[in-house]
Parts: sequence; C-alpha cells; structure tokens
Amino acid sequence: MKMEFIGEGPALIIEGRQRMLVVADLHFGIEADLAAHGLHFKSRSESRLERLHKVIDLTKPDELVLLGDIKHSIPSLTWQEHHEMPQILDSLRTRLPLHVFPGNHDIGIERFLHDGEIRPKDGVVLDGVGYLHGHMIPSPALAGHLVVIGHHHPMLSLRDEVGCALQSPAYLRAEIDTFDTGKGPALKNSSPSRILFIPSFNEIAGYDILQIIKKPFSPLSRLMKKENTEIILADGTYIGPLRALITDETD
Amino acid sequence: MKQIELLNPKVQECIKKRGFTHLSDAQSRAIPLILHGKHLVLIAPTGTGKTESAMFPVFNGLLSLPAGGGFKALYITPLRALNRDILSRMQWWCGELGLTVGVRHGDTPMGERRKQALKPPDLLITTPETLQALFMGKRLRQHLKQVRYVIVDEVHDLAGSKRGAQLSVALERLHVYAGEFQRIGLSATVGNPEEIARFLCGARPCSVVQVPVAKHLEISVKYVGDDFKHQTDVLSKALKREGSTLVFVNTRVTAEALGHALFEHGDVEVHHGSLSKEVRIDAEERFKKGEIRTLICTSSMELGIDIGRVDHVIQFGSPREVARLVQRVGRAGHQLNTISRGTVFATGFDDLLESLVIAKKAKGNEIEPVVLPRNAADVLANQVAAIAVEYGEIERSAILEILERTALFSGCEVLLEDVCHQMEEHRLIRNNGGRIITTARARRYLSSNLSMIHDERKVPVFDMVSRRTVGTLDESFVVGWVHTGAVFITKGQLWRVLDIADGKLTVEPAKKAQGELPSWEGEQIPVPYNVAREAGEIRRKQNISDYTDGHEGIAFAKAFLSEMDKNRSLVPTDDLITLENTEEGVVCNVCAGHKANEALGRVLSILISARYGTTVGLDLDAYRMLLRLPSSIRAADVRDLLLTLEPAHMSGILRLALKRTALFKWKLVQIAKKFGAIDADADYEKISIHRLLDFFDNTVVQQEAYRELLSDYMDVDTAAAIVALIKEEKIRVDLGPHSLIGAGGLLSSRDQIPPPTADHAVIASLKRRLEQDDVVLACMNCRDWKSRTVVSRVPENPQCPKCGARLIAAIKPYDEEQYAMIRKPKKNSEERAVEQRLIKSANIVLSSGKKAVIALSARGVGPENASRILGTQAEGDAFYREILKAERTFIQTHRYWS
Repeated sequence: MKMEFIGEGPALIIEGRQRMLVVADLHFGIEADLAAHGLHFKSRSESRLERLHKVIDLTKPDELVLLGDIKHSIPSLTWQEHHEMPQILDSLRTRLPLHVFPGNHDIGIERFLHDGEIRPKDGVVLDGVGYLHGHMIPSPALAGHLVVIGHHHPMLSLRDEVGCALQSPAYLRAEIDTFDTGKGPALKNSSPSRILFIPSFNEIAGYDILQIIKKPFSPLSRLMKKENTEIILADGTYIGPLRALITDETD
Repeated sequence: MKQIELLNPKVQECIKKRGFTHLSDAQSRAIPLILHGKHLVLIAPTGTGKTESAMFPVFNGLLSLPAGGGFKALYITPLRALNRDILSRMQWWCGELGLTVGVRHGDTPMGERRKQALKPPDLLITTPETLQALFMGKRLRQHLKQVRYVIVDEVHDLAGSKRGAQLSVALERLHVYAGEFQRIGLSATVGNPEEIARFLCGARPCSVVQVPVAKHLEISVKYVGDDFKHQTDVLSKALKREGSTLVFVNTRVTAEALGHALFEHGDVEVHHGSLSKEVRIDAEERFKKGEIRTLICTSSMELGIDIGRVDHVIQFGSPREVARLVQRVGRAGHQLNTISRGTVFATGFDDLLESLVIAKKAKGNEIEPVVLPRNAADVLANQVAAIAVEYGEIERSAILEILERTALFSGCEVLLEDVCHQMEEHRLIRNNGGRIITTARARRYLSSNLSMIHDERKVPVFDMVSRRTVGTLDESFVVGWVHTGAVFITKGQLWRVLDIADGKLTVEPAKKAQGELPSWEGEQIPVPYNVAREAGEIRRKQNISDYTDGHEGIAFAKAFLSEMDKNRSLVPTDDLITLENTEEGVVCNVCAGHKANEALGRVLSILISARYGTTVGLDLDAYRMLLRLPSSIRAADVRDLLLTLEPAHMSGILRLALKRTALFKWKLVQIAKKFGAIDADADYEKISIHRLLDFFDNTVVQQEAYRELLSDYMDVDTAAAIVALIKEEKIRVDLGPHSLIGAGGLLSSRDQIPPPTADHAVIASLKRRLEQDDVVLACMNCRDWKSRTVVSRVPENPQCPKCGARLIAAIKPYDEEQYAMIRKPKKNSEERAVEQRLIKSANIVLSSGKKAVIALSARGVGPENASRILGTQAEGDAFYREILKAERTFIQTHRYWS
C-alpha cells in the first residue's frame, strides 16, 4: 500500500491493487447555512467541484471514495441541493466509479445515487483499507485495518518562538485499542487499529486539532490514544507527534 | 450692535429678552453672511455663542416661511447628549417666536416619532444616523422637501471620519428632495478650514469665518512625577482651590483610577463613555448645579455639552494632539470673551516633553489639519444599500450623480461599479444592467447598519482559574485572529485561550510569552509626527527652559538626561535613532509619532520575518518600537536592515505582508460587515473565519481595508521620508545599551507579523522536534558504552568516554535493543544486517558529527537515507528541507501505515 498526499485538495491517494482517491467533507450547499448564521456569500459549489476535477486530472485514480458530508443541509434538502447534487455527482460518475459513505449531513442523499454507489454508514473494507465517514462506531469488520475517516475537519495552528505562523488543514494518524465505547454491547475480537483523520475538502470548514483532542465529538476521537497520535500537513509534510503541541500548551 | 438690526424685530426682541447686551465677535461676523444666504463654516472656540450665531439668522428665515408642511431646518450634532442640550436651548427661542422644534434620535420614543411624522416640527434636531433613518419612511421623505437650512454642529469631529463621509452623501440625497438648501457648519479650531468647507458643501462656494482661539488660552504644564500616588496628591491639592474643575484623562481606566483615588473629596464624579446614560446625565446635572466641583472625564466631554461654569481645566497626562488640548482647555471660562485657563499634568519624561511641545503649538495656533476620508468603499456600499431601499429601484447613474456632488466621492464611477458588484455577491442588492434593485435583506441590513461607527460586540474574557471575567476584547479581533492555544496580553497579564464558545473567550493565565498575541484594548490617540519630532529636538538641544519656567519639570528632565549619561546610554533624538538589545527583542528609538512608527515598525518586522523565518511581535508608541524577536536576532541585524531599506519599496512591502496580520483581519471583518457579507450578530463558531476571509482576496472589500490602514492607521510617506533621511545621513543610526528611554512607555503587544511562507514555520517546528527527540549514542569501537540523551545535548563530535573512539552510532530509542543484539558473539543473518546498519550509522556520525545525529533522528531516516541527505552538502534551512523531503517520502510507504 502506498499513500500520496494531494495538497491541492486536500485529498489522499491510497494505492493497493487499486488507485483510490479519497476526499471528505465537501459540504456542497454550505452557503445556505452560513447565511442562516449571518454570513452572506454566493455559492462556491462550482469552484469547489472544479477543484475536485483538477485533483482527479492530476492523480488519475481508478475509483473515487467520497467520505461523507457531500452535501450540507440537515435535516432537509435545500432547493440549492436539489438543483446541484445530480449535476455534481453526474460529472464525477461519468469519469470514475464512486463509493459514497454517507455522513451525518447526507440525509436524503440516496435519491441522487445510482445502484451500487452507496456504502454502509458504519464502514466497509475496500482493497484492505477500512473507510467510513466517522460520526459513528465502525463496523467490527474494520478492526485491525487502517481506518480512514472524515467528519473532524482537522486543522493545525503552528507556532514559532514569537507567534502563530501557520494555519493549515492537516491529517491526524492515531491509534485505538478497540472500537468498544463502553456503551452498547461489548465487541468481541476487536483488535487495535490505526485511524487516519483526513482534512475537509471544503475550503472553510476546519477545527483546531487541539479542540478535537480536548472536546472529542465522535466515538473514534474519544477512543484515540493521544500519546502516539501524529500530525501530517495536507501536502504530506510530516509534522510529528501531537505530544509536541500539547507540551507546548502546558509549560 | 448694528448687525442685530438686520434681524427680524421679533428675533431682536427675543435677544434682548434673553439678556444679551451685545453680539460676540463670531456672531456679528456670521449673521450677515447667513442672512445673505451664503453657505458658511464658522470656526470658533466653544462658548463664543456659535449656536446662536447660526440660529438667529435661521430663525429669521423660518419666520418668513409659511407655517407647517414639513421640516424646514435640520440641526445635526454628533451626539445624543448634544441634541438634548440644543433642544433645551432651542425650546425657549422657538416658544417665543411661535416656531415648533423637535428632537429625533435613537432614544426618541415611538409616540414622539409618530407625532413628528404626522406633524413635523419646523426645526428638527437630530444625529447623522437618524438622518439616515428619515429616508426610509415614506411620509418622512415627503417632509424633507421643505428643508431650507441644515446646520451641522461640531463638524470638525465628523469631517475626518466615515460617519462624516456618510453624512456628506446624506446631504446630497436630501438635495434630491429639497433642492439647494443653506449649509452652516459649526467647528472647533482646525488647521485646514477650507477642507471643512469642502466637506460641507462640495464644490459650492462657502464662506469661512474664523475666530482665533490662541488669545483666549492660557496653558501651563506642570510636572507631577511618575508615581500615581504622588500625582493624585498633587491633583487633590489643585482641586481644593475655589471654583469648578474639569479633569480630562486619555483612557477610561485612568478616569476610574483617579475617581477612586479622589473619592474621599466627596465632590468628584467620573464621566466616560462606558457609564450608563443615566449616570452620565446625573453627573452633568450635579456639576451644572454646583453640587460637585470636579468632573473627571474622557473625550466624552470634549464636544460642547453644556455643563455650566467651568473655572479650570486640568489635562492629566499629555493631550497627544494640539487640537485636543485646545478643545479641552476651551471648555474653561465658558463666558463670552473670558480667558480659558488650563494646566497639563505631565507624568513622565516623554509625557513632559510632549506636553510642552503641544502647549507651545497651541499658543502658536498650530492646530492639526482634519484629513477627509475620500472614496471609502464601505461608506459607498452602505449608501448604495440605503438608496436602493429608499427608491426600490434606481439607475446607477442617478446614484453617481448624487455622489459626484459630494467632496468625498467625486470621480468614483469605477469604484461604484465594483462596490455594486461586490454587494450583489452578498445579496444586498441586485444589478440589472445599470439598474440597482433592492433585496429583502437590504432593509434588515440597513436597520442594523444606519451608523458607520463600528458598534463592536465585546467578547468577555473569562479566566477559568479565578473563575471571573478579566476583561473584554473586540469581537472583530477575536474572530479574525484568536484561536485555541493562542496567548495574548490584556490587563498587563498573559492569557492562553482554552475555548471560544457561546460568545465567550475562556482563558487561563499563561506563564511564558511564547506565541504571544496582541491585545486590543481600543485604539490610542496617536501623537503626530511633528510633535514627536520636536520632543526629540528638545532631547538633543536640552533646551527645555525655552518651553517652561516650571522648575520641577526642568529639574526632572535634567536629572533624567544626566542619568542617561551616567549609564553611558545614547539619547535618541530627532536626528539620532538608537537600537538597543533587550531580553525580549530589539528596541528601536525613533522620534516619529505613532503613525510613522507603525509603518516603519511593520516594514522592519516584515523584512525580519522574511529573512529569518520567524514571527515578529511589534509594540510601539510615538518614540520607540519593540520588535519581539528570537534571541538570535540582535540590534546590529536590525540596523543593517534599516540602513539598506529603500524608501520607495516600503509601501509595496506593507501591502504584501499586511494581509497576514491581526490588524488587517480585524479591519476586513469590520468592512465586510458594511458590505452586508457578515451580519452584526453573525455566529462564527462553526466555521474557520480565517479561510472565509480569503474569499475577499482581490475584491473591493480588501482594497478598502488597505486604503484605510495605509492612509488612516499608518503614515507610510513619513516613514519613507525618515528612511530617506537615514540614507542621506541626516539621521544617524547607532547601537547602544538598553536605556531608560528605551525601556519607557510600552505596555502591551499590538500585532505580530508571521513569516511569508509556511515553509519557515514548518522548518522551525521540525528543528524543535528533532532537538527534543531522544537518541541513544552507542560506541561501535569498544561496543561497551551506550547513553540515552536528547539531540540538543549531543556534542558536535560525539566521543566514547570509555575507549575515546569517535565511532558512535546514533540509534532511535525504540531500536535500543539492537545494540544488545550485535554484542552477541553468534549472530544470525538478520542480526548481521543490523550490525552493518549500526556501523554505517557510526561512520556517518564520525564524518558529519552532530549533523548526522540530527538527520538520523528524523522519522523513517536510517543510515542510507541519512548519508544521502548529508551527501547533498546542504546547510541550514536547506539541510532541514532535505530531511522534510525524506520524511514525506517515508510516510507515503506501507512501512509507516501498517
């Protein structure tokens, strides 16, 4: 298995037998929600989709994994989404096969999908790698595999001696012992897994990594072990262990 | 008295009835001009009967008009408090003359408003913002048709601001309904009366009547020591004499502190903008009645609110500007033709010299000019939205016609087009060819954006540890800059951000100044260039006795300068810049005033951040800047930059780098609000506002942020002129030890300038990580010594303490057992391979020393990779870039992921 980090996305290529392009959290239609929160901007769907097509041109993948939150509005679809989603998905599926892992924002997306495109919400293993959006407990079938998730929109603020010098989307590579959250029925045969949190493709979504650690908002972020979590920038630059950021915090 | 005879006998009678025995200089010169229908700006000190000068002839005119039918005269003031004052004065006159008068502003009750809409008063007293609201109502718009006179009070206060720019457009919108009306501006003394006239009238001819202020002023400067206790003792003594005193201070904090210290007097009250309206009015009333003798106030009392007799004015601390001192001292002696007496209490070395210079300039009538903000795009956006709501649909050319009549927006055709385009992006209007159409949002936008004053939400700062609120920050600052983990200064203490949620910033006290952010406790009153420069001249000539005969001040300044000499410190002056190393960074002592120092300090910070790849923190005042730097960058490095700086490049450098600063983002948010992109009550918590602000790249919103910052906030031209003087060797630059002058003044951090590319930050973090990494050093010669340490403690050329050999392998801590493995007498093939790797590791440490150890500590870098990296011969940042490349390759591999 080989990885390529595509800074222009952010997007990830995972190459085993297949060349998979993975993107998460497109949030098409986010502008309507922004307006409801008092931020008024015209739709950037077009340039966002164009960026995705450029990444496809650049990486020439075999298949495309859409790791959830493809659309934004919940609980119901907006007029904008009704209008845009079929065109967006068509433009992609004419180029390559799609795997859609529905996220918490994807209520009602089924109607825009073709047969065989939708994958289970709690994930599935494709070509040796587990995928899910990341808002729920993964299926036991994913245990022991590398599990790739979206949902968290990780972003890194890097500081130097004097001040904050960089803010950038980033990946988090974490480990967990088991998918067992302590709630619900105990999972048998659950073995340690690597989890890769991938940054949001949407250009304005982003949570500070420290926020994710301090206030975990998903089963997997609650289970992750802080001590051997590592950070990688969107372009694949290795930043190092999370530890360094945390000690920075508490000295 | 012959000018009185020009007036209607009814008005003359009232004047006599009111007990005026003669007209003031201002009145007798202004009345005939106004009677002749001339537009007029009347410039006179407070208390010279300015209001009456304007109103006598206006009453005259109103009496000759038919009764009813609409507003006939508008009296506009910048403050509601002034409106109340003017109303109570006008009620008597209008009552006597059979005219009707009303006031309308934000506090006016609904019932009163309805009455005005049904039965408009002849004279309406209002604020610029409420004038905006008048255009929104159908019936009120009709009433505007009858307007014949507009009086703008305290016009100097409005002309230099975006509020004024908005008013200038409103006057031309009024022109559409009322045709030509007569304009009268009442102004305090300014350096450029003609600009004020242009502001008021555009291209129309306008007369100016100016009553000199200097002969009415008597100003002294008294040095009161730098200890607050002593200062209040002196103040306390000064307040014990006969009569009433206004004490002006520059900040609300000082006002509160003084009020607290003087509490026991029992006849002292505090008056500033953060107090409630009721508390302020109560203080004003009690002062007027003589129940209290002292009022401690901020600029809230500068404008002509009537508080009765003031016998003396004390300015506590330097007034910063000549205009401000004149205005403040002008509050004393409120009777026609009496002399205004004021004393400046100077509280330190800079403060004393500055106060003396300002007092001298006040006596010489050298008042600062008012700079009109021309072509402010956010004002334009605000007014386009207002006009769209007013008309529903309108041709852009008709809007242009309105704008072209103002002095502030002439030649704005292209800008108007850009603004309209941008507003459509934010759904505030629609463009249909050349036609502007209002939207559902526009009216809502307008009701919360009647004012160009940035009505900032204040975000409370809550300390988790002491569980109390320690202060507030401007919201625009918080959303544009603050993030979890950020450290900033407020109230002289460092705080780390734990959380931003529910409109509250949760913090904990921070110990170290690392990653420190600017605080934002309101903008300071800037000291102008020529004041700072002359203060520098006094330092050079040591001629303080030319300015004052106050012996305390002279003695203090002499002692201060001889202390500087004793420490062998260099005294920075108007022709000497000194640079000093301190623990925190480098102090540059430059006597250039706030705005020029802001520009120069930022240019230097940008160049340093680019050259050394570090963030630079910047603090400054009128006389010095502190560049917060890593300890490796010294004063000599800053001097080299200053000496090689090209004046012509400065503006370009600022433009490039400003975008990444807190200041710029703060401005951008404010302007975006006026373009309707961000609602006043927007909720930012769910998104990354930093990235949202990137949407404004290359738009008119961004352009306006640049315009405002480069023209109002800093003075690039003056900073460039100083650099040119350095080039001509008319200003010298010297290095000196940290001095009393260098240590003075600065309190809190203002901004920080990050390096231009992420590359620097990434390399800095890589260096830090590798230095902190554990490493096991193991001797491959005697094979009997190993030691675990951190990379930063590894010597340049590691050596075995047992056998003295330099054949030392660097092993990653988790591979430590490999050393035991190779010491086994019998090895399998795998163990022999490990041995080969360790020998290779030791060989490259032998040839490259610590550098090899650093490379070997990188993630996924073994001896093979390390020798390739070292083989590139790269040094410094290039060496680390090679390591980054190797790590990037490693994390793409299966080995890292499984």
